[in-house]
Amino acid sequence: MKNSIKVERAKKNITQADLSVLAKVSRQTINAMELGKYVPSTVLALRLAEIFEVEVSEIFKLEESDWT
Amino acid sequence: MKINYLFPNKYKKIGWFIFIPTLILGLYTVITDFEPEFLDVDVFAVLIEGIIQDDNRLFGFVNNNILNEILGVLMILSSLLVAFSREVDEDEYISKIRLESLVWATYLNYGVLLFAFWFVYDLTFLWVMIFNMFTILLFFIIRFNWQVIKFRKSVDHEK
Repeated sequence: MKNSIKVERAKKNITQADLSVLAKVSRQTINAMELGKYVPSTVLALRLAEIFEVEVSEIFKLEESDWT
Repeated sequence: MKINYLFPNKYKKIGWFIFIPTLILGLYTVITDFEPEFLDVDVFAVLIEGIIQDDNRLFGFVNNNILNEILGVLMILSSLLVAFSREVDEDEYISKIRLESLVWATYLNYGVLLFAFWFVYDLTFLWVMIFNMFTILLFFIIRFNWQVIKFRKSVDHEK
């Protein structure tokens, strides 16, 4: 799964640390998501969408490999 | 969603505080057969095995040195506290590490036992089984804490 957390973060001009406080997870979790190493839970995905004021589907995109 | 069966974070410290001395004393008693006399007491037992089968009976009192019982209980309870107390920064990623470590520890623990089934016999096998009771949590604690430390140190590609 691809995500545009980093892009959204840049638009809002906030750091990983700022985002981690807003989303109530550790900074390393934000980092792991940005690197594509971690797929967040639905709740966390929805929190991020609310923080960035966009739809979840605008941040997270399915890839071909997600179907196998 | 909110239920995760974990203890509050402060219990981890209490757990370590009991766990380490118990582990050291436990290993010491195993190595030296240390059994202080004042702990020889009559204890209630549910199943008592006699020397011959006819002597087997249910319920009664037996004389036993209770040091190993005390250490065993402390060991299990303190391991549970260390293993299953929330981290200060417990979030869903740490929950993932927790789950993976538990699976890993279970495989390793039964791996050791499977090996011992075929290559260790008699009383030595009994010892493996005794250790096996405690090692599942021990393996979990080692692997989980190592992974969490690694996770916390993970460098970010900020900005």
